[in-house]
Amino acid sequence: MKHIEKGVSLKYAPRDFLRDLNVDNASTGLVAGILGLSVGVVHISAGTAAGLDSSFIMIWVISYLMINGLFGLFMPAYYRLPLPMANSIPGALMFAAVIPVIGLEAALGASLIAGAITLIAGLTGVMGIVMRLIPMPIVMGMVGGMLLSFGLNMVEPLESAIVPASIMILAFFISSRLFRKIPPLVVAMLAGILYLIATGVDLSGIAATIRFPEFIVPEFTLGAFLTYGLPLAIILVGMETPAGVGLLKGMGYKEVPANGITAVGGLGTMVSSFFNLHSTCIAAPMTGICASPEAGTHDKRWVAAVIAGAIFVVAAPFYGYVVSLLEATPRYFIAIIAGLALMRVITSSMAIAFAGKKHEIGALFAFLIAASGIQILGIGATFWALVLGVVVSAIFETKDFEFIFTREIAKKSG
Amino acid sequence: MRIHKDWSIPAITAGFVAVLISYSGPLAIFFQAAQSAEISSAMMTSWVWAISIGAAVSGIFLSLWLKVPVVTAWSAPGTALLVTLFPGLSLNEAVGAYLTAAMIIFVIGITGSFDRIIQMIPPGIASAMMAGILFQFGVGIFISLESVPALAIGMIIAYLLFKRLTPRYSLVLLLVVGIALAILLEGASLDGVAIQLAEPQFIRPEWTWNATLSLAIPLVLVSLTGQFLPGMAILRTSGYTTSAKPIVTVASLTSFFTAFFGGITTVIAAITAAICTSKEAHEDPDKRYVAGVANGVFYLVGGTFAGTIVALFTSLPGEFVAVLAGLALIGAITSNISAFAAEKSHLEASVITFIATASGVSFLGLGSAFWGVIAGALAYNVLHRRFRPTPQG
Repeated sequence: MKHIEKGVSLKYAPRDFLRDLNVDNASTGLVAGILGLSVGVVHISAGTAAGLDSSFIMIWVISYLMINGLFGLFMPAYYRLPLPMANSIPGALMFAAVIPVIGLEAALGASLIAGAITLIAGLTGVMGIVMRLIPMPIVMGMVGGMLLSFGLNMVEPLESAIVPASIMILAFFISSRLFRKIPPLVVAMLAGILYLIATGVDLSGIAATIRFPEFIVPEFTLGAFLTYGLPLAIILVGMETPAGVGLLKGMGYKEVPANGITAVGGLGTMVSSFFNLHSTCIAAPMTGICASPEAGTHDKRWVAAVIAGAIFVVAAPFYGYVVSLLEATPRYFIAIIAGLALMRVITSSMAIAFAGKKHEIGALFAFLIAASGIQILGIGATFWALVLGVVVSAIFETKDFEFIFTREIAKKSG
Repeated sequence: MRIHKDWSIPAITAGFVAVLISYSGPLAIFFQAAQSAEISSAMMTSWVWAISIGAAVSGIFLSLWLKVPVVTAWSAPGTALLVTLFPGLSLNEAVGAYLTAAMIIFVIGITGSFDRIIQMIPPGIASAMMAGILFQFGVGIFISLESVPALAIGMIIAYLLFKRLTPRYSLVLLLVVGIALAILLEGASLDGVAIQLAEPQFIRPEWTWNATLSLAIPLVLVSLTGQFLPGMAILRTSGYTTSAKPIVTVASLTSFFTAFFGGITTVIAAITAAICTSKEAHEDPDKRYVAGVANGVFYLVGGTFAGTIVALFTSLPGEFVAVLAGLALIGAITSNISAFAAEKSHLEASVITFIATASGVSFLGLGSAFWGVIAGALAYNVLHRRFRPTPQG
């Protein structure tokens, strides 16, 4: 356990939560929570496309919110850092695709092993070493590319829904200039909601249902491990965790518990596999929102992640209701709010990646690959962004890697 | 004429290499524009003829006149801009916009206000728009990786190797390897490629507000900041103190004539200029102008056989052209993103420009580059005064 970073404590967390709560972190936490809820739509469409039973899909999403939400309450409260937890989206797409082929129990067994591998990567401290060896500009190039799509999705509604889109975007920028007290995100959301009310949004299709996660015993097969478990482990260790850790570092957090995040993600994934869920890990886009300057001062941003976790847990049993609510709000609404929340994160990750004049080409490859959103061998773009970014940088910018040697020397002499 | 005494093999080689590189990389972007405009090969031939002749005439004239290696070419970021506008924009409108752009650049050149105008444009906004236009090409490399993995991976590896071993010839070698891979892996056939003389086709210009705002204005901006600015900087760092005035004026006059045949704005070269202005072209800086002349002569040859070049590109798969264009632009994308990321004083406005331009969103019929500049200029004026750096500095 010696590699797992120590946190603050859980004992005073509720008291500190109330002390640190403010309108900035509450509003960003709300936005992150809503973004996380809207991700359930990905599960629904992937599951439906793979021909899964709609009752199972609902259980899957409810487990996602409930289990990830519980871990999402614990992590930020323990480390006092904006560490929202969710599941892996590429993992979800793979999970839905393999169930008809290898069966649900075997897929969950593979998840369990992937979780164990991730846990070991955290416990042995491998993750911390990997994160120190990948140059920051490349990590931030990847983060910038990954989040850029949120920026682009924010601009896209200008084509089809120019009036509400420009009202929301302008409200954000004008209020960030005029009122210092009210978070611009809140103003943008209110402007959007007012517009929706004024134009009459159809809420008639909303229906309430209540369901809870269900227990299931996983099964182990070698085939399931090779087709799904191994890629999932690579996704969790190589893609989800580096993205979240890189983001936090980029936002100015010096001590990021890379091993702790990995280990808890692994443990969470193992728990998940008993409840029809494929993974638990740090949620990169939500981390971007909770750790952004919009969430107030650095030391209080953890509250935003706790709120996001709480929203997950509370909303989980009523997800049927949430889905119909999400379907009633126009698509652009969440796209714009998420894009606005991530604007400054995108800005600073691009600045860190490209303003330092080191690892430029590696950072560019990482940026472009992550932005392209390609999937190769079932593993998403951010993993390939890191791998190719480092390879390209090692070929072209060999001398920029000197930091590895100088650090070793510094460690020995210090 | 001094030129019989001054000519040398290295200078002529430099001119040849510069032309070969232009045809290997930047021309691929122009082909993507032509593909998005869904035009016939005959029309594409006319376009290639026009840009080659424009580069040839202005380059030979300027190099002989000024006795400086002035390498001219077509506006590469301008062609990238075209890809986003076609097929919504008609050919006649595009030609109208080329003429408007040539007029504006001519006025800037003849009044000698080039340096002043360059200073007026916030550097971050200009680079961010350029990066936004070029962004899609960079992403295109990796999108092709999903559809034609073997070809794309082969080309990426070839590019990395050649770039590391012989940076100067990397694009030319990449073209050769890429063609070989396309034939071997994708079953492309070069049977249709034959020597043929180009026949230019006249396009009647049509002037519209739409084309002026979406094409002409951004074209002027990217040509000034993406070609004339770095091109003049390359000349100056090589020790030539030539003023921008004659170069900008002659290039824009040439553009005016080639526009009627589909030739986009002629500009001073940025990607290939350094080859002809460096020591490798000739030890004596006063004799390097021969490289500029040679460059022009090889463009004349290329223009004359434009049909052959078009046939070569059209017989290769679209993904090949996409990967080639993307790899040719890697350097340009890197330098533009770095340029705006380093411009801390108006970083937020630059990122807004970048995102708006890269989104490719067009509304009211106007292209994203135009909206990118508008959004950036707005954000620059609204935000930059109260700009505070993000907490980590």
